[in-house]
Amino acid sequence: MASLKKAWNPMLAIPILGALSAFYFGLTQTFWAVTGEFTRWGASLMNLVGIDTSHYSYLKLIHYQGTVLDRVDGIMIIGMFLGAFVAALISNNVKLRWPTSKIRIGQAIGGGILAGFGARLAMGCNLAAFFTGIPQFSLHAWIFTIFTVIGTYFGTKIIKMPFFRPRVKLQKKNSHTLADLHQGDHTSRNRVLLILAGVAIVGLFFVEANKAALLPWVLIFGLAFGFLLEKGQVCFTSAFRDLWTAGRTNMTKAIIVGMLVSTIITYFFIRSGIPAKIMWAGPNVVIGGFVFGIGIVIAGGCETGWMYRAMEGQVHYMLVGVGNIIGSMLLVISWDALAPKIVMPFPKVNLLTSLGNYGGLAFTYGALLLSLLLVMWYERHFFKKNSEPTKEVLAHEN
Amino acid sequence: MKTDYNIDYLLDLKGEPCPFPAMSTIDAYDDMADEEVIEVLSDCPQSINSIPVDAKKRGHDVLLVQQDGPTFRYVIRVHK
Repeated sequence: MASLKKAWNPMLAIPILGALSAFYFGLTQTFWAVTGEFTRWGASLMNLVGIDTSHYSYLKLIHYQGTVLDRVDGIMIIGMFLGAFVAALISNNVKLRWPTSKIRIGQAIGGGILAGFGARLAMGCNLAAFFTGIPQFSLHAWIFTIFTVIGTYFGTKIIKMPFFRPRVKLQKKNSHTLADLHQGDHTSRNRVLLILAGVAIVGLFFVEANKAALLPWVLIFGLAFGFLLEKGQVCFTSAFRDLWTAGRTNMTKAIIVGMLVSTIITYFFIRSGIPAKIMWAGPNVVIGGFVFGIGIVIAGGCETGWMYRAMEGQVHYMLVGVGNIIGSMLLVISWDALAPKIVMPFPKVNLLTSLGNYGGLAFTYGALLLSLLLVMWYERHFFKKNSEPTKEVLAHEN
Repeated sequence: MKTDYNIDYLLDLKGEPCPFPAMSTIDAYDDMADEEVIEVLSDCPQSINSIPVDAKKRGHDVLLVQQDGPTFRYVIRVHK
């Protein structure tokens, strides 16, 4: 029970997520993805306020039809929210946390808009164009990843500006007593909320079972995804951003290992006849990855990141979610002007066809292992560089 | 709660979303002397994957990690 309450090591949670996401593809023939569904939510909102969305071709492209409860992505996402909520309750991590300043509110919405727009321009987010896109052998995911890395580098320059810094000061304490955390006892509240979440899950299970045999399974996968993201405190933004802010690589390495796991399982599903999900490898992916990279750093989280944090009661990340949906709506509106120039003329490159089955597999594993080595090299380089001033001071003192 | 060591500093980062708790904690080490102890409070649960990891990477001792509620506590002894 104690290990269920504590956070899990991302090096455990993410490889499990990698394996599950590959089996999810095998089951549903679609990949684990979230932003496409958020775009459909945006479209429903537009319809709700009386905007006619029938002429937007992007919505046809992402098969906008039915309600959230009819769509595979929809029920998976509801599962993710519920799974994350259950994990947050078990971990006693649920607390309403309000933004500390207007700057943070602006960051959350503005960064969310950039991330939502960039992700949809590139046809995916940290999942479909990275974590579940690379194992699909789609070249666009590699291009997206590279430009997301570059985007997060510039994003980090922005959030390091004094304007964004916390106003918190280091207080002199000089005492043998730990601060009172004023946590309160949430045991009974958590228990009630857990029961409510349980009722919702069981209810949804029956609703979905009546719709199609597949959908209850989709719900279960969604629950597992959300649960693992919260338990592992899995942050894809951190995997990129914190290379630059702190030279930290634990999340980056865990994500690469996760993809090493999911790639081989996905490969077997594709070889068994399920078509790989391949997207256009055009300038849209370059721009989308870069804008997404900047956006997620300013917002403080990407699509999967805001989902579980919103369920923990972090209002900041609810606003990031609102921003994401606004960003995806802006993309829907501008797609018909952009796509003929920067998307459609470019090929959908499947590495398994362009390099052959074994060539594509070897390329993916080679590039993932190279990324792992690069990250390890970068970490050593970062700490060597940052320890140099101390050595200089020491030499001076001697 | 009493500790058998003196806590020199308190850094209360409640309400700050990531990455600011991690960044501010790293900055705080610069203002501290060798062997000094800092207590860091954060209600961003993701800090569990950043603050203790960053401290160890920089050669500091993580004396306490408390995560039994929405606000996490980290106590770190700095080595320079």
